[in-house]
Amino acid sequence: MFERLKRRLKLGTEQDSIDTIHMDIDEPLPSNIERVKEKLEKVFSACSDYIQREIVCGEDGSVRILVSFIEGLVDKKILNQDVIRPILNHFSSMRLEGKPARIYQLIMECIISNNEVIETDNMQQAIFKIVSGDAVLFVNGSKRALVVGVKAPEGRQVQEPDTEVSIRGSREGFVENLGTNMVLIRKRIKNPNLKFERIQLGSQTKTDICICYIKGLANEEIINEVRNRLKKIRCDGILDSGYIEQYITDNRFSLFPLVGNSEKCDKLVAKLLEGRVAILCDGTPYILTVPYLFIEAIQTSDDYYDHAFFASFMRILRLLALLVSIMLPAMYVALVSFHHTVIPFKLIIALASSRQGIPFSPFVEALLMIAAFEFLREAGVRMPRTIGQALSIVGAIVLGEASVNAGIASNLMVIVVAITAICSFIVPPLSRTTMLLRFIFLVAANLFGFLGIFCVGISVIIHLCRLRSFGIPYMAPFSPLTAADLKDSLIMVPIWAMITRPRILFQSDAKSNVGIKRQEVDKISED
Amino acid sequence: MKIKKVAVVLLLPALLTGCWDNVDLADINIVTALGIDKTEDGKIVVTVQVVEPGALQLTSSSQQGGGSSQSKPIFVKSYQGETIYDALISMKAIVDKRLFLSTTQVLILGERFCKEGINEALDFMRRNHNTEYLTDVLVARGVTPEEILKIQSDMDAIPAIYIKETAENTAIRAKVKRTTLMELFKEIQNVCNQVTIGQITKVDETTVKTEGTAVFKDGKLVGWLDQYQTRGYLFATDRVKGTVINVPVDDGRMSIEVMHSSGKMEVKFKDGRPSHLSIRVTLEGNIGEYAGEKMFTSPEGVYELEKLLNREIKKEIMMALNKAQKDYSSDIFGFGEFVHKHHPRYWKEVVDEWDDIFSKLPADIQVNAKIRRGGLMKSPLMRDE
Repeated sequence: MFERLKRRLKLGTEQDSIDTIHMDIDEPLPSNIERVKEKLEKVFSACSDYIQREIVCGEDGSVRILVSFIEGLVDKKILNQDVIRPILNHFSSMRLEGKPARIYQLIMECIISNNEVIETDNMQQAIFKIVSGDAVLFVNGSKRALVVGVKAPEGRQVQEPDTEVSIRGSREGFVENLGTNMVLIRKRIKNPNLKFERIQLGSQTKTDICICYIKGLANEEIINEVRNRLKKIRCDGILDSGYIEQYITDNRFSLFPLVGNSEKCDKLVAKLLEGRVAILCDGTPYILTVPYLFIEAIQTSDDYYDHAFFASFMRILRLLALLVSIMLPAMYVALVSFHHTVIPFKLIIALASSRQGIPFSPFVEALLMIAAFEFLREAGVRMPRTIGQALSIVGAIVLGEASVNAGIASNLMVIVVAITAICSFIVPPLSRTTMLLRFIFLVAANLFGFLGIFCVGISVIIHLCRLRSFGIPYMAPFSPLTAADLKDSLIMVPIWAMITRPRILFQSDAKSNVGIKRQEVDKISED
Repeated sequence: MKIKKVAVVLLLPALLTGCWDNVDLADINIVTALGIDKTEDGKIVVTVQVVEPGALQLTSSSQQGGGSSQSKPIFVKSYQGETIYDALISMKAIVDKRLFLSTTQVLILGERFCKEGINEALDFMRRNHNTEYLTDVLVARGVTPEEILKIQSDMDAIPAIYIKETAENTAIRAKVKRTTLMELFKEIQNVCNQVTIGQITKVDETTVKTEGTAVFKDGKLVGWLDQYQTRGYLFATDRVKGTVINVPVDDGRMSIEVMHSSGKMEVKFKDGRPSHLSIRVTLEGNIGEYAGEKMFTSPEGVYELEKLLNREIKKEIMMALNKAQKDYSSDIFGFGEFVHKHHPRYWKEVVDEWDDIFSKLPADIQVNAKIRRGGLMKSPLMRDE
């Protein structure tokens, strides 16, 4: 079923990915400026943001230059200052003798005072540069054009990320601008071995994607695999790194995240230093890291900035919270519906008295309360910030007081759901996973009691152990056991005792798995 | 293929066994105490004490508020049947919800029921998977279990809890033998000794007393031990965790608090025949209270006291042993266990008439008490001279 689905998805994207813009323009630049102008006007018809400025100067108007750019993408001040004014100044004061080729040379070498100038002799590339925010100068009589980098600084300032809050450590978060993000990383790793490989994805959007790694630390196999998988992406546009994540993930139908993402600079740099590969995407502050292992979900950057005792304690707590948020409602339902025998006497009386007069079965009750909580949470995410207060008041009253007083939910169920809700916020990377698992466990608990919980639990563990992220076992370093890497797992040793680099990413079976994976990808792309 | 595999995994639980019933907690009657007795015409009467959790919370909250409670937190119902199981199931005719037995705190056995033999009747408790093995078992003396369960304790809202806690307290004072259902099953199955169960009596409408022990012979109730005999019995069988013993001193009264005690029982053999029983008890105690004028600062004084204590305990053990040998002819001490272990060949010969042999054996009782501390005072509370 999945194969068929994949094939259909595949067909869909290929139909859409027909190259629509540049069909008739993949050709060398004409030397006559009139023809260039004609062509550009045709390409940019109905583009009101497209601006072209023709400069005619020299004694007899022999110097004709066409400056093309997109309004807003270009910093007009810099363009005037660095390009247009020097040209006008130069040619108006000077008597010109020579051929167009010399004029072109002169402009490139002596007149333009911008530091980023490249040449192009291809119409398609010139147009691409115009739409990506550069100014392009066409000189009459020359078969080449000049691309001047006068991109306007875009986007917001570097600020603290909202989604990943930390107590200590850098408050800098990534922004939407790829260049800024690269700067943020480079600033922290002053080393030429830090590589940024740039590619463009999306047949329509031509989004800049950057593969970032530290040469020598990252596993070459994994870097190659990332390149390969990125190359295979065929789609119209990449709007967020989430698109890439879904294309390159190892298991497309798993509930568990196999690609990590982060907004925090210090966290990303730490991952790079561990030998992971980052994928930067223009237009989103979320940077992907691969391979992504289960243990990373319960690691936070704060762990490394404070004493290892506290970090270890917190990690165990986080794992506990994860289990609680997945299983607590299911456990409660199993206890109240099946296993009265194991409840201590005094607790059973408390439980029974709170269940007294509730019209629903524990399962329905749990379902209602969890659904109510999920509604509240989703509303909290989608709703304008200013109404947040009202929502929390309504939520507290509805979920807590009113439902108990009205006899729809029992006191204990409210406590159970509240604890579950709190715990579900403790491990953010897995919060959506736990939400779905919670319902699966709940259904199993209602059908088979603890037996159902154990069966589903074992299935989940089997699934987790089978998962691979870019060839690396998802449950490493626990399964397979990598003793050297246990130093940074559930129990963490102090930072001064972590003398070896993580070995998981170089595990011997990683190689073979990457190989298998690659073949699979090839097979899919063939049919 | 993958789907098939997943389906197989999902179907696996159906092959496993487990507690199938999905029953809501609100749909069960939480039984806190169970009483079993017999009518004169030989029918079984089962009495259940059921707690009403809703009402229980109401009473506890109204107690805080100072108001009066409208509904009782418990109800007690009895029903007759041919067997215990029959009576329990038939009881659904008069109670609203399924009876849930795992929460049973105490099991009260009626005198008549015990006299006719508990072994067969307790079969149900062993077979039922909902039995709580840590239930305290007590035998009601002079009253029916129903009367005991119907008391309205003003100490705890649930009488069963009150009864359980008194039994616990008395067991710590070594005045009652505390028997859980699990121990009872073990004792019944063990051929080497006879069963004893703690005794419960009713004082008034709100109070019960758990003191003394019921003595069984071959599964039938044959008599009782009073509280002192019970203590002697517990000393000998090494079940005393602590108690207070009153010692008559020449010039007043004294209470000794026993801290540790260990008892050892043996059967001495001579020429392949048992010659006499030997009971050795060593214990440590402190002076708890003394109304007299002596000072116990010299070793001699303390030795004197220890001798008195020895005599007192020896007397209690003697009384218990006498009762078991002469009156009931029932080896409740478990001397048979010793014979079984150390003289298995002889045991095989006499297994059926062991109780008679036991009754005729003379006993050698030795008590070795040590008094360790005298509390916070050296000399009695009186004016210094």
